[in-house]
Amino acid sequence: MVCDKIQNLLSPYVDGELTPEAKAEVDAHLSSCRECAELLSLLKIATASLAAFPEVEPSPDLKARLYAIPDRKKKFRFSLDFLVKPALQPVFAAATVLLIIFSFYMFGPYKNDIDKSVNRQIHRGYSQIERLFSKAGSVTDSLGAYANDVLVSLKKINPLGKDED
Amino acid sequence: MLVDMYSKKVFNMAYQFSGSYQEAEDLTQDIFLKLYHQLGKYDFEKNFTAWLLTLVKNYLIDMYRRTKLEKRQRDDFDKHLHSVSAMDNPESDLHEGENKRILWEGLNRLSSDIRMAIVLKEIQGKKYEEVAEILGLPVGTVKSRINRGRLQLATILHDKKEKIHGL
Repeated sequence: MVCDKIQNLLSPYVDGELTPEAKAEVDAHLSSCRECAELLSLLKIATASLAAFPEVEPSPDLKARLYAIPDRKKKFRFSLDFLVKPALQPVFAAATVLLIIFSFYMFGPYKNDIDKSVNRQIHRGYSQIERLFSKAGSVTDSLGAYANDVLVSLKKINPLGKDED
Repeated sequence: MLVDMYSKKVFNMAYQFSGSYQEAEDLTQDIFLKLYHQLGKYDFEKNFTAWLLTLVKNYLIDMYRRTKLEKRQRDDFDKHLHSVSAMDNPESDLHEGENKRILWEGLNRLSSDIRMAIVLKEIQGKKYEEVAEILGLPVGTVKSRINRGRLQLATILHDKKEKIHGL
């Protein structure tokens, strides 16, 4: 248990990030535990060895391939990438539902019934609109008559009560 | 311009993570394709290198999970890395070379998250804060991952050395 606790402190110990008290605790343990002392030694070797890994040069062929990318990208600038945008997903879902409904209509057994029903509804709507127009015409006629009456009445009104002559 | 400035950095990160020169070349090409595609999303107020390395990290971890890069054999250390190292002191270099070879192989035994943290902190020499920014994690979490990675590598080093010297 003590070793587990100390081993978890070895990394900050190497980085010099422990408080003086914690460092003293680790030092005291290391002086008496060969296993943890060896682990610390190996941990230091590991960090030093990894830091000394050299950088590797990419091949000229790779660089040539990378230089060629922008041109290739330009050719595909008008690609269909926008189709995979998450914002369009509800649109695609709605379109799919509509397509399914449309296919039921087109290839289902009730196409003629639906067509007749739709035609009937359209004609009914059309005749209702005609009726509304004719009603609206009679309303405007009566409104015109009322307007004439109102004008005549207004002319007859004498608000100050003076004689007309 | 981007290729001149960043291809070596991206390639080395991919190589250190994947362990395969050929794989790293393919990954670098894919990453640059993605980079050109995503450039429009770059926020100019942010550090470009950190943004790019985050993109590289995301791609490498994603590929690791999809293709299980850890199952593949890493290149022989001497093939590309040892030839570049300086050889000043042959005796100490022998030990150093052995340690590096063991650690190079040992990287494959780390989980992708710990391996990425080790690559950035230990091999590329970044600070904890920089690693935290690239990984998008709190510094404390990064320190914990580095600690676990270092202990695992130290244990691997111990076991391998014991095996070699026990033979």
